[in-house]
Amino acid sequence: MSKIARSMVMVRPGIASLFLFAVSGGLHAAPDADILGVFQSNCIECHGKGDKVKGKVNLLEIHSLDQLKKNPDLLGKIVEAIDFEEMPPEDEPQLASEARKGLLSGLETLLDESLAESKVYPQAPIRRMTRFQYDNAVTDLFDLHCTVFTLPERMMRNHRDYFKPETGKMAEVVTVGNRPLGKSQMIEPRLAGVTAYPQDLRAEHGYDNQGDHLSLSPLLMEAFLKLGQSIVQSPDFNQGRVGLWKSFFAPPHENEDLSKVVPERLEHLLKKAFRRPIEASQLKRYSNYVLGQLERGTDFTSAMKAVSAAIISSPKFLYLYDGVSGEKTMNRVDGYDLASRLSFFLWGSLPDDELLELAAAGTLLNDDVLDAQIYRMLKDRKVKRFCDSFPSQWLQLERIISSVPDPKKFPRFYFSQYRNSMHMLMEPLLLFETVLIENMSITQFLDSNFTYRSGHLEQAYGALGAPGEKKKGEVGALTFHRVPVEDRRNGGIITNAAVMTMTSGPERTQPITRGAWLAGVIFNNPPEPPPANVPSLGEKPKEGEEHLTLRERLSMHRERSDCRGCHEQIDPLGFALENYNAVGNWREKYENGREVDMQGTLFRKHDFQNVTDFKDAILEEKDRFSRGLAGHLLSFSLGRELGVADAVILDEIADTTAKDGYRFKSLIREVVKSEPFLTKTNPKKIAGP
Amino acid sequence: MRRTSRRDFLRGIGGAALALPWLESVATPVKSAQVAKRMAHFYVPIGVVRRGFFPGEADHVIPKGNLGNVRKSLGKQNPNYSVTKLDRLTPTMQPLEAFKDQINLITGMDRTFQQGTDVHAQCASCYLSSAPAYTIKGTAWPLDRTLDHLVADVVGEKTPFPTLEFSCNSHQDNKESIYFDNISWYGTGHVAPSLRDPRKMYHRLFSTREIEKYRDVTDLVLEDARSLKRDLGYEDGQKFSEYFDSIRAIETQMDRLEKMKGELAKITFDEPPEAYLPRGEYIRLMGDLMLVALQTGLTNVTTFMVGPERWDTPYKFEGLFDTPKSHHQMSHNQTKMIDDLLKVDRFHMEQYVYLLEKMAAMKEADGSSLLDNTLFTYGSGLGDGSTHQYNDLPIIVAGGGASTASGQHINMPEGTPLANLWLTQARMMGSDMKRFADSTAEIGALKG
Repeated sequence: MSKIARSMVMVRPGIASLFLFAVSGGLHAAPDADILGVFQSNCIECHGKGDKVKGKVNLLEIHSLDQLKKNPDLLGKIVEAIDFEEMPPEDEPQLASEARKGLLSGLETLLDESLAESKVYPQAPIRRMTRFQYDNAVTDLFDLHCTVFTLPERMMRNHRDYFKPETGKMAEVVTVGNRPLGKSQMIEPRLAGVTAYPQDLRAEHGYDNQGDHLSLSPLLMEAFLKLGQSIVQSPDFNQGRVGLWKSFFAPPHENEDLSKVVPERLEHLLKKAFRRPIEASQLKRYSNYVLGQLERGTDFTSAMKAVSAAIISSPKFLYLYDGVSGEKTMNRVDGYDLASRLSFFLWGSLPDDELLELAAAGTLLNDDVLDAQIYRMLKDRKVKRFCDSFPSQWLQLERIISSVPDPKKFPRFYFSQYRNSMHMLMEPLLLFETVLIENMSITQFLDSNFTYRSGHLEQAYGALGAPGEKKKGEVGALTFHRVPVEDRRNGGIITNAAVMTMTSGPERTQPITRGAWLAGVIFNNPPEPPPANVPSLGEKPKEGEEHLTLRERLSMHRERSDCRGCHEQIDPLGFALENYNAVGNWREKYENGREVDMQGTLFRKHDFQNVTDFKDAILEEKDRFSRGLAGHLLSFSLGRELGVADAVILDEIADTTAKDGYRFKSLIREVVKSEPFLTKTNPKKIAGP
Repeated sequence: MRRTSRRDFLRGIGGAALALPWLESVATPVKSAQVAKRMAHFYVPIGVVRRGFFPGEADHVIPKGNLGNVRKSLGKQNPNYSVTKLDRLTPTMQPLEAFKDQINLITGMDRTFQQGTDVHAQCASCYLSSAPAYTIKGTAWPLDRTLDHLVADVVGEKTPFPTLEFSCNSHQDNKESIYFDNISWYGTGHVAPSLRDPRKMYHRLFSTREIEKYRDVTDLVLEDARSLKRDLGYEDGQKFSEYFDSIRAIETQMDRLEKMKGELAKITFDEPPEAYLPRGEYIRLMGDLMLVALQTGLTNVTTFMVGPERWDTPYKFEGLFDTPKSHHQMSHNQTKMIDDLLKVDRFHMEQYVYLLEKMAAMKEADGSSLLDNTLFTYGSGLGDGSTHQYNDLPIIVAGGGASTASGQHINMPEGTPLANLWLTQARMMGSDMKRFADSTAEIGALKG
């Protein structure tokens, strides 16, 4: 990894904290190339002059376009700030529309030129598997008919086998369980006596599979060694549960030559476990280990179990990495690199035999072969692992686990010692799976014409739920029905009860939290965390403020002018959802009798008067959403944060996806076929000075 | 031998010295004259209420709400160096009364905040590294190899575990990143993960038999590691050394545990229960595990987080409040919740004192106590949970026996880096380092 790449790993995709205040004194028309002129007249007051360097952007230091060109990171930041209309802030003199366009296209050209000269994608570092990946990989390696250990991060349990991606159709009625919140959902077929190592925490503002976070310690190594042992020693690790039993663990026929059988059996397992060709010396080492044990009198099955424990403790199994590359930047990945990138992205696990065979044949990188493999993988049941890891983290759904609305205010949220969130959490996850399996347009995430509801969830929605007598109170396996959405206040991932609840406090909604969620999740443009020097607004109104709306209270509360830059971006997004209360129920009025005031403008372009307008406004900006989702997928798939070079690629991915009718599988295909996914920069020697 | 029930040593928290039958059974582990020096750190998250903790600040203004960017004390502190006898204890320090002449209160210690990461995350993760801002390249964190590991490089040569990391984080949700839950780091971006589960820690310390099974496995996989390393790029190769380091550490650990087998067999520490424990009991159980590890020579260096940083999710403080509370949220509402917050500060101090009492009662081979041979530091990465200040930190150094001056309130001059204390401790522990992180000098007053 080059030094540049390393520094870019730290670049955050979101740039919302830039505060490019314009000087007072009217509008400036910027000619196409007069970028520096605009900086001088509109930006440097806050970005360079008199020690003011807001957002750590100093434009006073930029004396020529050449100099700017040498700093693609800065250029990328500025482009985003202008593109999202974050700068100049609303209460400062604005750039005329033509001037803005001119400036933007000038900057974009410059960025393209800059990247053409020195384009490099960050390289995710070598990293151990997460425990989720480990669980899947061990399951696939031994073809287990159960899971290794039960993990709460796999939130939605599949009951009665509803998940059938090969049919291209999601069932009308599905039975699911909520592992972290439901009753007995952590009790499932698994290997007794095997305990999981601690859950991998998420990277700052990212996914739990990010390479820079996944390191190894003696403690964890010990855990892996113990795990290896406890898995093969489990009483459940037997003929009934291990698919590989007959072909690997069962003793061969008496007249078979062990010195032949053992290497034959090992070669296949090692290849699969290590995802690469096996050297003769390596095979010999492992074979000798087994043969040595047999000589010492260990029975065949025990010896094979022992070597299996060793194999899953090997770094070649535990670590994800790309092979060493040439000295230049952006070398094409090889077939084995690609097979692993694909399988850990879409299956959270090892490549299967077919992928490895194509890698060996050198054809996996062929355009048509790759296309076919992507679609094959998306139809394989193992894609459930993608559905078990990406959407919950993308939507930050684990936040609902700790949501505890005030029981006095929201008594109906609680039932027989459980919470409605148990049902709520399933809705966006089922929507996600359906859009994927049925290859629908990703605009369904914004505004779907169907959803999945349980009887209990319909009731929990109050006025937004379907009327009528409903079966209530399921706490274990939950039955969800596919229902059409006729009232557009329902549907999509934004306004569902799970998201509305988890972005609220115990007593009231938190529009800023909702806005920040929307900016980060939907548009992949998360604001910086709040400066923390402004007290958060109390749950209950202060004395004398009881008659105010939440928006009025917040605006009184926000005194500092330099907070406005960010809040102009996220507040309209959050307030737009004010008709949904702290548990996702519809309301027109606050408790004090005042009308909910939700209207606003999205990206300073699209006015909205109600939530349906708001959904329309977001649909108008669906290309931004598509680009944002592409960014989330790319970061998840590569296990790293994105850099400025990736940002340009996202535009291309979004364009192609749009031409394909925004279909979800097309988006995934384009992510896989993008340059950052298919290249690596991983030289043996570091480019020295 | 009578088996000790957990109740035996949980009883009497905060009270007088306890009867500790299980300790006697391990009180004669080392026959050699040399008793090891130990170092332990007790980390308190989210700062303390200044009015309750710091002498002379009882009347200072209560921070209103969350004053995150203030990052300095609202009231005035003595900017000059002074050493005075530790006389009347402030309310939060009250539980320390019996230990007044075995501790030093050190005030006026500062750190530098490096822009770019969360204040809470950095205050914990960089507490024991204090690298000068912007000196560690390629990361947003001023995070270097932490003090505990640098000291373990010197005094961890013979123990099975060079260091042990404890955290009393009982949260079930996955809300925060590793930076909020770990003060111990092998190096930048390379966490020494803390254990939160007393059962896991128990098995780590006492399950020596299982480990034997790994021996022939490690030979096999190390060969894989060598061949893998040849196929890696330069940067990956650097990071991958963690694998060799880990395997080596485990092998050493196995060898040393093997040698201690006889001693360890004498310990009758009950396996911790799976059931939920009230917060105080849970913390003290983790503390007991830490002490038994220090006493028996399983390790000489430990870090102990009495709670994680931030982590807004409320949990129960049994005996203090009726409903679950979030320490972090309270810290941002001091004007309203100062009394509750003071209770939390006091509660944490009582846990520290519980450990001091037990250490004082643990006799070593030469007749001294474990406390006499341990530098046991109480401290927080924040000077106040509302202002999020990195200066004027609450620090108490206990123990150290005759080689440590004590019974003092040492006030360091304004701007003294916390690293000065860490440098002093490292040298007291036998390191010959000249400088630690951004240190400028040692704290002479701490040396006996």
